[in-house]
Amino acid sequence: MTSLMVNTLQGIQMKAESRPYLDAMHAVLTHAGWTTLFKPMLAGMTVNGFRMAVHRRLTAESVTAYNWHAEHFLAADFIGILVSSKAEFTFRRTFPLYRKEALADICASIDRGVAAICWHNGQFVAIVGYEQVDNGSCSGRLYYVDGRSDEVQSFDYMDFGIGEDRANPSPHWYYQIFEGYIPMDEAAVMKESFLQAIFKWEMHDGTLPVTDYACGEAVYDAIVHALSSGDYDRVGASETFKCMAAAKQDLAVYMAEAERRWPAAGEAAKHYVRVAELFGSVAAVGVDQVDELCGFFREAKQAETQAVEALRLLVRETLDNRFHDVGLR
Amino acid sequence: MSSVYLDNIRMKRESQSFTDSLYAILTAADLFEGPKYRLSGLSGMAFKFAVHERLLPLSVTAYGQWGLEHAAAIDNLGYLSISDGGRTRHLTFRRYQQEAIRWIKQSLDRGVGLIYWIPEFGVIHGYDDEDGVFFIQDGWSREDHIVLYDNLGLNFTPFWNVQMIGQKVDVPLEEQVLESVRSAVHDWQTPFKLLPDKEIASGKLAYDFFIQALRSGIYDENGGRYILDSYRYARHEIRDYLSDVKGLWPELAEAHLYYEELGHHIAELSFDYSGGIPEMIDKLTAAAQLEDQAIQQFNKLSARYADPSRTTVTRWITHSAR
Repeated sequence: MTSLMVNTLQGIQMKAESRPYLDAMHAVLTHAGWTTLFKPMLAGMTVNGFRMAVHRRLTAESVTAYNWHAEHFLAADFIGILVSSKAEFTFRRTFPLYRKEALADICASIDRGVAAICWHNGQFVAIVGYEQVDNGSCSGRLYYVDGRSDEVQSFDYMDFGIGEDRANPSPHWYYQIFEGYIPMDEAAVMKESFLQAIFKWEMHDGTLPVTDYACGEAVYDAIVHALSSGDYDRVGASETFKCMAAAKQDLAVYMAEAERRWPAAGEAAKHYVRVAELFGSVAAVGVDQVDELCGFFREAKQAETQAVEALRLLVRETLDNRFHDVGLR
Repeated sequence: MSSVYLDNIRMKRESQSFTDSLYAILTAADLFEGPKYRLSGLSGMAFKFAVHERLLPLSVTAYGQWGLEHAAAIDNLGYLSISDGGRTRHLTFRRYQQEAIRWIKQSLDRGVGLIYWIPEFGVIHGYDDEDGVFFIQDGWSREDHIVLYDNLGLNFTPFWNVQMIGQKVDVPLEEQVLESVRSAVHDWQTPFKLLPDKEIASGKLAYDFFIQALRSGIYDENGGRYILDSYRYARHEIRDYLSDVKGLWPELAEAHLYYEELGHHIAELSFDYSGGIPEMIDKLTAAAQLEDQAIQQFNKLSARYADPSRTTVTRWITHSAR
């Protein structure tokens, strides 16, 4: 006799608001009761909002082109959340072993009452439940929310990682489970985020070939170059700008909170407000208004450069102590 | 309260400490058969070569970010692996440490030892709940190191690292061999694997760093000796490994010849050799050229087959420690 094991978490609210990953993370942590932070604070403290990268043709992939494994571990680590995660290619021989391990990890997490995050159908979704045949055969379904609709959807265990579009299977699988938290000093977390912000502004993400992608400060020149050359993906560019705008808006709110705590952060906060305004202007014109867009991006680059300079002054002693490796805590 | 002591694990330092550890664990659990050089070759570990600009002894284990290097090495053998590590000064360390104590014991309960940064790498082969300790071999001494649960991961370096080996899938030998030489090409062509650090070079540039250090006269001689011993052992491993698999593709047979010749060149490569530093530089220069020619053969072989793992952009791989 086989029985069906089912467990579904109730009350998870995920809302997709152009913050791939962070929308899912916020939903999971809020549901678990491990954070009460609202999204802009989470965007700043996890450093996610400070990170930017684009494919040089401004494809939609830009918004999730980064080192998921490292960045999502760090996002959690900065705010004192314990996690386990793994990512690899779905075409590796060992994938079935890892899929089995991943499904067991995810189900165990659901049984502890905590949702998990998965890469599924080209987005980060929150896994909220499972049903499986209790005969050790590794067959079943995962339930998830993607933030676009309130409805809980599901996919077969065998679609883990590769997704449901068989014509375009994802080459990457990724999941993350959340295992606990330690109380953190919020002020210290915010100060660390400023150092990491400087690091993200300066460094290229090693997972992305420089020929195809730009990161941090270099993003602005890459966008202007793509727009001016005309060789860019219009739909992708629109999605990319929308996500960037959401991140800049978050940073403006985050830095305003920083200013409330430390008036000295006011200078940086002022520039982030300007950056957010400019991205607002970007959103207001079409992706074909090349001249106008280029003007906004050039100005945004200037404003964000000033913002980062202001951050540098704010944390200059710690910055100096870290010599040539600003990111290393 | 329980305890496990895996008597059949016997680590012996010969190759790199990670390879020695892996070999001891796999052979004791009947998960690998064959000589150590084959494991070293198939995992790609034998090809890893790093040199600090002042020839510090840490060079020998500074061949990259362990999480990535070791996961790929073990993946190529067909095993699942789980590891954890990082800076012990980070606030979350204590919780990850406690979690590690749990999964280390689970693995030992299954009869499989774990790889552990002592430093260097060694093997955890037992635990005792009553005393709250792990038993660890370093491959040099027959005496165990005893590490208290609460001291797990703490050492004089700033980081900790533990790696567990899980289940296995069969990977055809040809695939393993092809992937191993592709990883060799990657390691050879990647000058810096610990960016933003540029004091430690990998692969081809590692030779230059060694030669530059000798020329400048500013180097750690004990470190230099250790690097050379490790380097020489690894080159012999590569030679023997290629000798086993050279029948698979003509490029491997040719590369094998280069490594044979290289073996002769470096046989007397030593700080004690009568030729002194100039002679060492000559030998290293010749060895670098031979190895470069061998790598070209690997490259030629690699180009004949699709390589999705290196042509698809990843969402993990290299990152700087934060």
